[in-house]
Amino acid sequence: MTVLGAGLAVTLLVGIESFSAGLTRALHSGDKARTLIVYRSNRYCPQTSYLPERYVEEISAIEGVESVLPVKVFLNNCRTNLDMITFHGAPVEKLLATRDIQVLEGDLGAFQSEGDAVLVGRDLATRRGLSVGDKFSFGDIIVKVAGIFQSSDSTQEGVILTHLEFLQRSGPVDRLGTVTQFEVRIDDPAQAEVIASKIDARLATAEEPTHTRLQAAFLERATSDLREILRFGRIFGAACVAIVVVLVANTIFMAVHDRRRELGILRAIGFHAHQLAAMVLVEAAAIALTGGVLGLVAIFAVIRLTGVAVGVEGVQVSFALTPGVAVMGLVSALGAALIAALIPAVRAAQTDVVKAIRGGA
Amino acid sequence: MSFVRFESVTKSFSLGEHVVIPFAKLSLEVDEGEFLVMLGPSGSGKSTLLNLAAGIDRPDEGRVYVGDTEVTALGSVSAADWRARTVGFVFQDYSLIPVLTAYENVEVPLWLTHMSRADRHQRVCVALEAVGLSDRHGHRPKQLSGGEQQRVAIARAIVADASLIVADEPTGNLDEESAKSVLRLLQRLNNERGKTILMVTHDVRAVEHGTRALRLIKGVLHEFKERAL
Repeated sequence: MTVLGAGLAVTLLVGIESFSAGLTRALHSGDKARTLIVYRSNRYCPQTSYLPERYVEEISAIEGVESVLPVKVFLNNCRTNLDMITFHGAPVEKLLATRDIQVLEGDLGAFQSEGDAVLVGRDLATRRGLSVGDKFSFGDIIVKVAGIFQSSDSTQEGVILTHLEFLQRSGPVDRLGTVTQFEVRIDDPAQAEVIASKIDARLATAEEPTHTRLQAAFLERATSDLREILRFGRIFGAACVAIVVVLVANTIFMAVHDRRRELGILRAIGFHAHQLAAMVLVEAAAIALTGGVLGLVAIFAVIRLTGVAVGVEGVQVSFALTPGVAVMGLVSALGAALIAALIPAVRAAQTDVVKAIRGGA
Repeated sequence: MSFVRFESVTKSFSLGEHVVIPFAKLSLEVDEGEFLVMLGPSGSGKSTLLNLAAGIDRPDEGRVYVGDTEVTALGSVSAADWRARTVGFVFQDYSLIPVLTAYENVEVPLWLTHMSRADRHQRVCVALEAVGLSDRHGHRPKQLSGGEQQRVAIARAIVADASLIVADEPTGNLDEESAKSVLRLLQRLNNERGKTILMVTHDVRAVEHGTRALRLIKGVLHEFKERAL
């Protein structure tokens, strides 16, 4: 029971920290220092940001801009949720040239040539069990999976890439000529703020004013709610560690109490007090590590098999169970167990041999 | 030449508000290679004498020597080291570790040495053979009879080649046949290996297996000369 309890606590703790690592990775992976996001001013959900596609020329004309990718974003839910489906529609050639994606399986040619073909991010494909050749519908949109891709930018691995025009024409209202955002690649990251200001200034009097930020800043704002959830989650994680302490303390305390005669025998045979204390600590460590490994296997299986990810405002954050997070989980469980076993270990070391042998210690 | 020597030893216990003094200014000498059987009513202090000889208890006054060592002068750590080298314990309830096999239980005292695994293996096998349990290596205590468990405990007591064996009512939980078998085994260890044995018992029939018998009554040791029927 104690091992399972410790395992459950490690599962929850590592789950929370994996989400934290996923959030950090989302904010820093890819080439975010050289990418600006141009969005409709005072809009936050992709479903409310409409910008004329022709802004591409206006933005491209600004000095320091390397390329501009118009993107239409279509998603099922703007609020925080665990099963966000996000389509990114963009001119295919530009999309493949701009975004760092590698097609793992499928036919890139089919994606380029067929209007209803899509490339599905690896995380989403895992979560929804999608394979190359599958056809699926999403609202009024019916698409065919031409390939599965991975990306150095973790936020991309939860999206579906498709043709811009196909996505503009989908849905209840034909939005041909409008996009949700522009992804602007710049030459010099040091000029990011200046270029962002120039873009917004140039379009300030246009029919749809813009707000341009570095991609990292854009993601930080979009994921601010998630960071609040994470803050609460960390309190929960601390509670998990406390649970390990209580469970192990109770078990080890009972074990030392029940085995006081055994401990007395060992002392009589010639074991030193510190050796008995060490035995108690090793037992606690073994319980914690066994539970910890079970917990790690459980959370690894959940993340791998379900591809669970948290989405908000079109941004998906997947769980990143990195070696560092796994080690942190085990070290936390181990540390908690050793703290829990400290008093029982001292009691074991202080075993009164004569009383223990008589059965009265 | 005396191997175990008590010099004017006094021991007291607190029982609630009362102080009990089982013996005061008690002296005793046990020769090397002797098998001393100690009898006496419950609470007379027989087991306390064993504990003092084994260095797991301390007297209020007096000194206890085993060989050249003044046991009462040893600190906690050096007393533990000394016990590991010198004393083998046999208890009434066998006191085996239930999760370990017979082999592992016998091996426990050797964990404290720097012996190689091969040497430990040889020692454990010899000890188990000496007590007639060569075929019970892999059995856990629950899978052994009381007599067999006590034999494992005796093997544990001799595995580190302890020169002094203290046995506290080793036949107390055994049926008559098993008790006889255990006493014969202790007698053989005394005869063939020259082990000095201090044994506490209520069973007067054990007297015939020892080389000397004493009775502790009201803090005084008396020679026991009656023949058991």
